Amino acid sequence: MALLEVRGLTKRFDGLVANSDIDLDVPEGSLFAVIGPNGAGKTTFFNMISGFLQPTSGTIAFAGVQITNLRQDRIAAMGLVRTFQLVQLFGGMSVAENVEVGCHLATKGGIGAALVRPPWFRHQEADVRAKALELLDFVGLGVQAEQEATLLPYGQQRLLEVARALAAKPRLLLLDEPAAGLNAHETEVLADIIQRVNRQNITVILIEHDVALVTRIAHRIAVLDFGRKITEGTPDEIKRHPEVIAAYLGTEEAAHA
Amino acid sequence: MPNGFELLQSLINGLGVGLVYGLIAIGFCVIYNASGIVNFAQGVFVMLGGMFAHTLLTRLGLPMLAAAVISIVLVAMVGVLVQVLVINPMWQRKAPLFAIILATLAVQLLIEQIVILTLGDQPRTYPEFTLGGPLKLGPIAIGYQLFWILGCGAVMVVALQLFFNRTRVGRALRACSQNREAAALLGIPVASMLMLSFALSAALGAAAGILITPTQYTAYSVDGPFGINGFIAAIIGGFGSAPAALVGGTLLGVVQAGAIVFFGAGYKNVVALTILLIVLLFFPNGLFGGWGKRV
Amino acid sequence: MTLRAIISTKLGAYGYFAIALAVAIALLFAWVFFKGGYLLTVLQLAMIYGVFCVGLNFFMGYTGQASFGQNAFAAIGGYGSAILTVQYGWEPILALVVSMAVAGVAAVVVGYPTLRLRGHYLAMATFALGLITYDVSVQWTDLTQGYMGYSGIPPLGIGPFTVEDDKLKLVCLAVILALGVWVSSRLRHSRFGRALRAISSTELGAAALGIRVSRYKLLAFIIAALYASAAGSLFAHTVGFISPEVFGLQMVVVTFTMLYVGGIGTVLGPAIGAVIASLLPEVVRSTGRFQDIAYAAVLILMLIFVPKGLSTLASIGRRRPIKAGAEG
Repeated sequence: MALLEVRGLTKRFDGLVANSDIDLDVPEGSLFAVIGPNGAGKTTFFNMISGFLQPTSGTIAFAGVQITNLRQDRIAAMGLVRTFQLVQLFGGMSVAENVEVGCHLATKGGIGAALVRPPWFRHQEADVRAKALELLDFVGLGVQAEQEATLLPYGQQRLLEVARALAAKPRLLLLDEPAAGLNAHETEVLADIIQRVNRQNITVILIEHDVALVTRIAHRIAVLDFGRKITEGTPDEIKRHPEVIAAYLGTEEAAHA
Repeated sequence: MPNGFELLQSLINGLGVGLVYGLIAIGFCVIYNASGIVNFAQGVFVMLGGMFAHTLLTRLGLPMLAAAVISIVLVAMVGVLVQVLVINPMWQRKAPLFAIILATLAVQLLIEQIVILTLGDQPRTYPEFTLGGPLKLGPIAIGYQLFWILGCGAVMVVALQLFFNRTRVGRALRACSQNREAAALLGIPVASMLMLSFALSAALGAAAGILITPTQYTAYSVDGPFGINGFIAAIIGGFGSAPAALVGGTLLGVVQAGAIVFFGAGYKNVVALTILLIVLLFFPNGLFGGWGKRV
Repeated sequence: MTLRAIISTKLGAYGYFAIALAVAIALLFAWVFFKGGYLLTVLQLAMIYGVFCVGLNFFMGYTGQASFGQNAFAAIGGYGSAILTVQYGWEPILALVVSMAVAGVAAVVVGYPTLRLRGHYLAMATFALGLITYDVSVQWTDLTQGYMGYSGIPPLGIGPFTVEDDKLKLVCLAVILALGVWVSSRLRHSRFGRALRAISSTELGAAALGIRVSRYKLLAFIIAALYASAAGSLFAHTVGFISPEVFGLQMVVVTFTMLYVGGIGTVLGPAIGAVIASLLPEVVRSTGRFQDIAYAAVLILMLIFVPKGLSTLASIGRRRPIKAGAEG
């Protein structure tokens, strides 16, 4: 059984079809990528899986449980955590605090515990801080822990978002165009981080524009175009697929190929 | 239980008040569409309209028409001052939304207190524009002022529509409301347009205040209720077109008048605010849904 | 560790400012205490407004939402205390607690539908709640005695001990405010407080990390309502008189001024703002009308030029440096 099973997922906006009848199986432990040109419906697809958009029709099952139409935070609580194409860092908080917020799901305690501060709560707070520093070291932001998060350079903001998502202890991590706007070096660092995350037995789905990056690190790739899944396969199969070449390079070159 | 005539009588009275709410609502929309700001101090313009007109009529003995025109011009200038001194600096600094709302509330309090200090805190009124009346239809009495409100309201709405659709400045203002950056690129002076929207909005509010005062009274404190009711009318109308705002105001005025008959005058604001909450929660785009959005 | 080291690690670069401010306020208290008279009342009211603002700060500062109708909950507290003690002879403390419970329930009932709204709509809906409460308190004369209000409300106390002396009142109120600030500080530096602050920045980001945004907003709203109700009750028991005007639009503008003067979103800011803004009209030293004008003018100027208030000078609510926590 696949960790994520998507069946017939469709989204229409006022007559415009953003996603049409998409089927997808993502096996546990894989590093999966969804690629496609701008406007292919990748982010819409992600938004539906993570509960930020309601599908018009179709179903989504995560670890064998139906999550279609569940609220975002419920889906996150089940272990499906996402990042955003436009980074959504918490301004007015430090880099470390951002990751501490990420520990929300992995911790407990509300108003009562915060007031009384029983021993377990104090231990937990200390663990949260330690965990935040550990994750920051993991993505290479340990030095910047005390900086205001939104003042980080853009590339580091993206890494911080990944660290924050990891703090939520995801089973499945959705990364929405994590390499957008990164330079070659930053992209390398990111690719390395994604692979290390995946080796910790966290399933990763990655939306990407950068085909070179994706074909290098992904185990399996699905291609969207005009809201449809046109094909799916290993990186090698995808690179040779005529429709993919057509979608990416334009029909003229495809005719010559 | 009130009889049918009593009810009908209050509904007719409510029509006049409702049209005035509609005019105030249009004022809200003009500023909102140009700047994205809801000016909570809108009621101040209504209050100032009535107070200035009263002062010019009684202290200077001006004729009604002159008093009305001068008052409207003065209030429009107050509107521009509010925009230039308070709203614009905050806007330039990208102040958060609720800080701007708060500032407009503070402006309201400030102007109220200045009015108390200069013009006094006593309620006042002046006679209807046309003396005589009311027009009797059986047991129903219709004050002549209602016809003035109807007439002036119609003229103003038509004039506004012509202004927005047929004049260069009006079209420039509409362009600002659709996309400020694009409008700026087209060479439209966005800052002046925002000033204009405050002037226009203040003038509308002043006209509303001048029209309604003879049927009730004016005092430093009427700005709150008028502002809120105008806002409610704008919400009912969907914050879009002038006619929708006018219809929203009329609906509100009539329902409120009915409510006075059933619950007593003291609860008229409670009823209006309850309507506001219901519309906000269940019809967030206004009662007229989609089409209200288009100017 | 030397005192100097403690100050710099506990409070960071702003430590000296905080100490200076604390000393200034302590001196002020001592002076007023010694001098007595009218300023005692001013400071009593400052403490009460402080309680209100510390609560409002949960919703507006930490969570970043706007409520222009918190005065409604202060009215519930004030009238609850007045009615229960004057009409039914309840113990003031009990009346205060029961009123807070009523305000909390009201906050749930009102907040659950209203907090779905955003921006202008939330602002107007909450504003409407405050105005509805005002109108009801004027009109429902059987319950509220209308414009007349309630007088002869007994002072706070436990059993035979009542707090009648003005100096003792001030001390009690200061202790209550300190307690309120302590709660605010504890909650801010916790999982709960982090969730609130995350929501204030981006609701999308918070929800993606599993934070139940609407639940936390509601909780912050309820906390603010509890504080507001307590402030309303304290006002009733301290002044001994309430009327609808006490909880009117003026209260909204005055408390917002305090929040902005002190620094919205910080732990101590609201309390400091309450003291400073209460003394402001005393400095202007004029009567009623000018006082309101002063408030409005100062608020407008603050909103334009220092929108984050004194917190830009002293963010006293800062977290401890990370090393200190990691060791524990």
